[in-house]
Amino acid sequence: MKKIHAVLFSLVFSSLTPALLAQDFGDHSSATLTGKAWEEYGRENFEMAMAYINRCKELYLKTAKEQQASLSDFAPAEKAHDYWALNDVGTSLFIEGQLLEKQGKIKEALEAYKVLVFELGFAQTWDPKGWFWRPAEAAAARVKQLEFDALLD
Amino acid sequence: MTAAFIVTTALQAQSRVEITGDAQQGYHLLVNGNPFVIKGVGGSHHFDVLAASGGNATRTWGVGEETPALLDEAHRHGIMVSLGIWLGHERHGFDYSDPEQLEQQRRHVEEAVEKFKDHPALLVWGLGNEMEGIQNRGDSPVIWREINELAKRIKALDPHHPVMTVVANVNPDKVRAIQKYAPEIDILGVNAYAGAGGIGRNLRNYGWTKPYTIAEFGLPGPWEVEQTAWGAPIEPLSRQKAGFYYGAYQQIMEDTTLCLGTFAFLWGHKQEATASWFGMFLPNGDKTVRVDAMTRAWTGEWPENRAPVLREVEVPVFNQRVKPGEQFKIRVRYEDPEGDPLTYHWEVFHESTDRQVGGDREQRPDSVPGAVRATDAEGGALLTAPQRPGAYRVFVTVTDGRGAGCMDNWPFYVSP
Repeated sequence: MKKIHAVLFSLVFSSLTPALLAQDFGDHSSATLTGKAWEEYGRENFEMAMAYINRCKELYLKTAKEQQASLSDFAPAEKAHDYWALNDVGTSLFIEGQLLEKQGKIKEALEAYKVLVFELGFAQTWDPKGWFWRPAEAAAARVKQLEFDALLD
Repeated sequence: MTAAFIVTTALQAQSRVEITGDAQQGYHLLVNGNPFVIKGVGGSHHFDVLAASGGNATRTWGVGEETPALLDEAHRHGIMVSLGIWLGHERHGFDYSDPEQLEQQRRHVEEAVEKFKDHPALLVWGLGNEMEGIQNRGDSPVIWREINELAKRIKALDPHHPVMTVVANVNPDKVRAIQKYAPEIDILGVNAYAGAGGIGRNLRNYGWTKPYTIAEFGLPGPWEVEQTAWGAPIEPLSRQKAGFYYGAYQQIMEDTTLCLGTFAFLWGHKQEATASWFGMFLPNGDKTVRVDAMTRAWTGEWPENRAPVLREVEVPVFNQRVKPGEQFKIRVRYEDPEGDPLTYHWEVFHESTDRQVGGDREQRPDSVPGAVRATDAEGGALLTAPQRPGAYRVFVTVTDGRGAGCMDNWPFYVSP
C-alpha cells in the first residue's frame, strides 16, 4: 500500500513542473480561472493554461451542467451573466480544444469540443468587441473542420 | 421542325422563381416549379467546373457588358444566376440623400431588370452588396427606404424573380431596420466568414422571419485572424481553408427552415490581403482543394481529379524576424491523391500595403527577384532574405499539371 502511494505521489508530482507548482489560481473563481487560461494560451504556455482549465472544470463543471439544463435556448444578453459557470466552463473547454489542436492532439481536441457542443451548448462569453460570443458554435465548426481534415488523409 | 422549335423555345423560356412556405414549416425556393436548394458560389468563371462539382448557382455583384455572355454560359452548364445589381456605397461617395444620384441609380436598376428579366438562367435579383456600410451599424433609414423603393420597382417590372439584398454580417439594429424600412425585400443575403454558422440563429434572435442565404462564406477574413508582431494577417494553410469551407457549409445548412442555401466565395481568383486568401482557384485557373471540399459537401463524393493536399511544412522563417541576406532552407510536402507528379514554384513578395475594406480592389505587391536561390523537385527551396528591411511573404504554388493546384504562404520580416 505504501508503495502504491509512493508511486502515485511520484506520478503526480513528477508531472508538476516548477512553473505549475507556482501557479496562482487567484480567487479560484470561474472568471479568474478562465481569464488566466486565455492568457496562458495566448502565451503558448499550454501546460499552465491546461491547469487553469482543469481547475475550472473540477470546481464548476457540475454547476455549469445544471445551468445548461435550466435553459432551453441561449439566455438573453441581459441575463447571460447569471449563467456564469456555464459560460466560463464552456469557454475553458473551447480553449482546451484550441490548445490541444496546437499540440497536435486532434482526437483529444475533438473530445473537448464535443463536450462543449453537446453538454454546454448554451455557453456565452462576452467579446470586448461588444457582443456575446458562443463558444459551442465555434466548437461545432471546429468539429466539422477537423472531421473534414481527417478525410483528406 | 416544329418539335425542335418548341424544345428550343422551352429551353430559352424565362425562368419563374418563387418562394413558398413559411418561417415555421420552412421556406422553399421553386425554380420553374421544382425545389431548388442553392449550392452556389460567387464568381463569373469556371462554370464547367462548378457544374461538375455539384454546384447549381452563382452570384454576381453587378451588371455590365459581360453579363449577357455570362448568363448564356451559366445556362449552358445548367447554372442559375443570382444577378447582382451594384448599388452605391457611401464610402465611395454615393449620397443616399441626393435625389439626382438616386434617380440615376433607379434608372440603372430598371434598365438591368428590363434587359435580363427574361433570361432562363436568372435565379434572383441581387440588389446591392454591403451598401449599408461595413464600419457602422448598417441601420440607416435613408438607405433602407431606398432599397425598398428599388425592390418595389424591380417587382413591378419582373414579378417572377424574388429580390435579395446582401449585407455584411448582421446585428440587431441592421435587421430591425431592414424589416421596418425595406419590407419589399424577399430574401436577405448575408456575407459572413468566421461566424457564418451562427448567422441563422442570430437572425432569429433579431426577429428575422423571412428566408435568407449566406451570400458569401469561406475562411475567416484577414480582419478575423491572428497577426504577426508586425501586423500581417496569418493566412490559414490550404488544407485548413478547405476545412473552413466544408465545415461552414455543413453548419449553415443545418438550418432547414429559413436558409435557402449558400454562395461560397470566391469562385475565381483575386488579390485581397494576399493573392491566395479568398480565391478558390489559382491565378493560372487551376482549382484548389477548396473546390474539392465544396464538391464533397455538395455531392458527398470526391471529384475525379483532386487537388494536391499539404502534408508537411518546414518553414522556420514563418512569423520570424531575419537579417538581410540571411539564408534559410524551407521545405513543404504536398501529396496528390491520384499520385500525379507535382511541380513546385517558390516566390517571395513584399507584404501588401494596398489594403482596402469591403473587398475593394487591391494591387498585388511586387515580387522580390533573386530571393529564391535554389529549389528542388521535392518541395525544398533555399531563400535569401531581401536586403531591404520590411515585411515579406514567401509563397509556394504547387500544380498537378491536370488543372488542380495549391498555394500557401508564410509571412516573415527582415530587420537589420
